[in-house]
Amino acid sequence: MRTGVYFCNCGSNISDRVDSEQVRQKVGNVSDVAYFKTFGLMCSEEGKEFLHNDITEEKPDRIVIAACSPRDHESTFMRILSGAGMNPYLMQMVNIREQVAWVTDDLQKASEKASHFIKGAVKRVGLHKPLEKKAIDMSPDVLVIGAGPAGLKAALTIAESGRKVAIVEKRAVVGGEPVLYEEVFPNLECAPCMLEPMLNEILHGEHAENIEILTKSEVIDVAGFYGNFIVKVKTEPRFVDLHQCIGCGECIAPCPVSVRNEFNNGRDDRKAISLSFAGGLPNVPFIDMNACLRAKGEDCRLCDQACPLGEGIIKFDDEELVSERNVGAIVVAVGSALYDSALIPNLGYGKIPDVYTAFEFERLLSSTGPTSGQLQMSDGRVPESIAILHCVGSLDKNHNEYCSGICCQYAFKFNLMIEHKLPGTFVTHLYKELVYPGKEEYFLYKRAKENPHATFVRTVNVNTLEINRKSDKIEIKNTAGGSLMADMVVLCPAIVPSKSSGKLGEILDATRDRFGFFEELHGRLDSAKSKVRGIYLAGTCQSPMNIQQAITQGMATAGYVLSGLVEGRKLEIEPITAFADEDKCSGCRVCMSVCPYKAIEFNTEKQKASVNEVLCQGCGTCVAACPAGAMNSNHFTNDAIFAEIEGVLA
Amino acid sequence: MKEDNGSANEALGEALNEALNEALNEALFEPKIVGFLCNWCSYAGADKAGGAQKSYPPNVNVVKVMCSGRVDPQFVLKAYDGGADGVLILACHPGDCHYKEGNYRALARHRMLLRMLEQHGIEAARCRFDYVSAGEGDRFVKILTEMVDTVRALGPLKALV
Ligand SMILES: Cc1cc2nc3c(=O)[nH]c(=O)nc-3n(C[C@H](O)[C@H](O)[C@H](O)COP(=O)(O)OP(=O)(O)OC[C@H]3O[C@@H](n4cnc5c(N)ncnc54)[C@H](O)[C@@H]3O)c2cc1C
Ligand code: FES
Repeated sequence: MRTGVYFCNCGSNISDRVDSEQVRQKVGNVSDVAYFKTFGLMCSEEGKEFLHNDITEEKPDRIVIAACSPRDHESTFMRILSGAGMNPYLMQMVNIREQVAWVTDDLQKASEKASHFIKGAVKRVGLHKPLEKKAIDMSPDVLVIGAGPAGLKAALTIAESGRKVAIVEKRAVVGGEPVLYEEVFPNLECAPCMLEPMLNEILHGEHAENIEILTKSEVIDVAGFYGNFIVKVKTEPRFVDLHQCIGCGECIAPCPVSVRNEFNNGRDDRKAISLSFAGGLPNVPFIDMNACLRAKGEDCRLCDQACPLGEGIIKFDDEELVSERNVGAIVVAVGSALYDSALIPNLGYGKIPDVYTAFEFERLLSSTGPTSGQLQMSDGRVPESIAILHCVGSLDKNHNEYCSGICCQYAFKFNLMIEHKLPGTFVTHLYKELVYPGKEEYFLYKRAKENPHATFVRTVNVNTLEINRKSDKIEIKNTAGGSLMADMVVLCPAIVPSKSSGKLGEILDATRDRFGFFEELHGRLDSAKSKVRGIYLAGTCQSPMNIQQAITQGMATAGYVLSGLVEGRKLEIEPITAFADEDKCSGCRVCMSVCPYKAIEFNTEKQKASVNEVLCQGCGTCVAACPAGAMNSNHFTNDAIFAEIEGVLA
Repeated sequence: MKEDNGSANEALGEALNEALNEALNEALFEPKIVGFLCNWCSYAGADKAGGAQKSYPPNVNVVKVMCSGRVDPQFVLKAYDGGADGVLILACHPGDCHYKEGNYRALARHRMLLRMLEQHGIEAARCRFDYVSAGEGDRFVKILTEMVDTVRALGPLKALV
C-alpha cells in the first residue's frame, strides 16, 4: 500500500503554527506512507494543478490531505482525485487548520497533535474501499395533496413548466378555505374574484392538460422514496360525470330530499344532489348517497330525468375507486383547522345561538352563504351589536401557547365588513394581544380603529369571560370585572392542525412538530421541505399563515421540485450508506427499530435484513446497534474507525 | 550487618526512585483523549472554535463519525485499549440530530456504557457524553477543557481488564 501524504500550509495559516518538517519526521516512517509533500496553498489553482499532476505521476493507492476542515474543501479535493483517475473515496482529509493550528498555542504541541491526527488518517485510509455514486431514474411528476391556495399555486407553477401534476382534494370543490370567504384582508379584495384567475388557469388554462384534479379523494398509502413514490388514492363516487356535466344545475330543483348544508354551518338546507355552493369549482354537482332516496331502496331518478344532456351524466352506479400514481415528489398542502371553541365551555359555543366561530361568520358575510350575505341573527333579526373575541385558545398554555398571527387581521376585516353592511352596528373587540406586523397590516388595524362604532377592550384572558343568554341578548361578563351585551359573538380561535393530518403524517412518514403541524426540515432555511426527502410542505398545514404566505410557500415547493427533480436527470445516491451481511444477520430486527428512515427491509422468508440504499442516509445508528455485527457502513466501517482510533493514539 | 544495611539502603533507594518517577510522571502526565464528534453539529462546533481561534489543550484526538448514533461501545473500549485516558462523545442537541434521533440512541448507549465501564473499574468521568451545536464554539472549548482537567486529575488509566 502506497499512501501519499500532502501537507497544506494554507498560506501561512497552518505553517505559522504547525511545523511541517516536525510532522514529516513523525509520520514519514509510518508504514504505508510512501511520501510526504508540503504545498503552499492546495485549494488555489496552482495547488489543484500540483495535486492533479502529482497524483498522476506518483500513482499512490491512497491519499491523506492535511489541510483545512473537510467541511471546506473535501469536495474540491474529491473532484481532483476523480479528475486524476482515482476513486475519490480513497482519500482522507485531516483537519489541521480549524482543529489544530488555530487552536493550539504551542508549535511543538500543535505539530505533535497534527501528527496524531495524520497517523489516524493514514491507518484509516488504508482500509478505504473505492465507492461509486449510484444513479437511479426519477419520475418528474408530482402529487399535490390539498387544493387550497398553497397546493393550487404549487400545482400550477409545476404544471406551467410542462410537468404532470395530480391534485388530491378531499372536498368536492377546489380552492380551500378562501373560496368560502367574501373578502380577504389586507385589502378587502373580493375573495372569489381574487382566486378566479388562478382556478381558471388550473381548470381551463394553457397548462390544464398537465393537471389532473381528483376531488372527493384522499391519499391512503405511500410507498417508495424521492424520485419514485407510489401513491394510492381513494376517490369517493360523485355520481355525476365530472367531464360531461355542464353544471347547469337543472338536476337540483327536482330532488325531493333536503338536508342541512355543511358548507353553511347547517344554517340552510341543500338537496341530496347539490353543488357545494354557488361558484364552487369544478362546477359539477354531487350526490350525497347518505341522503339520496336510492340508498333507502327507492328507485328515484328525478335528477337523472331532469338532466338536459340526457342519460349517462348522472351515474347511480358510480363506485369508490382506488388508483395509483407514480410520482417523484409530493407536496403536502392540506391546510389547518380552528381550535374547537367548545373546549372553552364558558364561551357558550354550541349552546348559545348566535355565538359563531370565525369560519361560520365568514359564511354569514358571504354572498354564497346561508343568508346570501345578509348579516342576520338565527331568528332573522338584524344585529345591532357584535362582539369579536380574539385569542380564543391562543396565547394560553392550557390550550395553544402560540399566537396564530392572522386572527387579528380577519377580525379587523370583520369590523370593516360589518360597518359596510350594517352601518352603525356596534363592534367590540375583546383581545389579549393585538398584532399587525407587515407593510399593509397596520393600515387595516387603523381603519378598524377609526370605525366610529368600534371599541377595543383588552381582556387578560378569555377563560375569565362568561357568556350567557340574557333575554334576547347575549351577556359577556368578565369575572375579573365588567360586562357587555351583544346580539352576536364571533370567536377567533387558534389555528390548529387539521384532524386528518396525523393520519396523513403517518402515511407519509413525515414528522409533525410539538403542536401537530407538519415539521419543516429547517424552520428558516428549508421551511418548504419536510424531513422526508421529496416531500414538501406548503400553507397552513405547517404553521398558521395568511394567503400570501401560503402562496409563497406553494411557490417554494415548486422551486424545489423544478430544481431537484429534473426530467431525464438521475437521482444520485450517496454511497456512504449502511449495508448488511446476510450471513451474520440473525434476524432480530433491532436495526429496523433504530432506523429513523425506514430504510431497512426485512425478508420474512429468509429472516434477514437488508438496507435500501436510496432511503438510507448513512447515519450508522443501525451499525452501532446490531448485536450480531452484521451491519456495517460504507466508508465508516468498524475496521476503518478502529484503525483510526489506533492511529491517533499511536 | 553491613551487607544487610546495604541491601536495605538499596531497597529504600529503589522505592524512592519509583515514587519519584511516579510523581514526575504524574506531573508530566498529559491525558490522551479520543473525541468522537458527529459530522453535523459537534464537528462543526469544533470548527467554529477553530474559526474563532480559541486556544484549548491539544489532548483530544478527534475521530469524526456521521452521527453520534454511530458510536459503537466497542469504539470506546478500543480507545481505552489503545491508551486513551478518556473518551468524549459529542452530539447534536436533543431534537437537532441531523438523522432525527441518533443522539437519543447515543445517549442511551452511553448510560449502558458507563455501567459496563464501572465493572471494569473505569471511572464514569472518563467517558463523557455531551451536546455541542454547530454554533457553540465556546461550549466545545469549555467541555473539552473540562474533560482534559478532569482526566488529568484522575491520572493515567491504569489497566483495562
Ligand atoms: C376565519 C378566517 C379568515 C381568514 N381570512 C383571511 C384573509 O382575509 N386573508 C388572508 O390572507 N388569509 C385569511 N385567512 C387565512 C387563510 O384561510 C389561509 O392562509 C389559507 O386558507 C391557507 O391556504 P392553504 O392552501 O394552506 O389551506 P386551505 O385553504 O385550508 O386548503 C387546504 C385544502 O386541503 C384540503 N384537505 C385537507 N385535508 C386533506 C386531505 N387529507 N387530503 C386531501 N385534501 C385535504 C382541504 O379540503 C382544503 O381544500 C383566514 C383564516 C381564517 C380561519
Ligand atoms: S448527527 Fe449529530 S448527533 Fe446525529
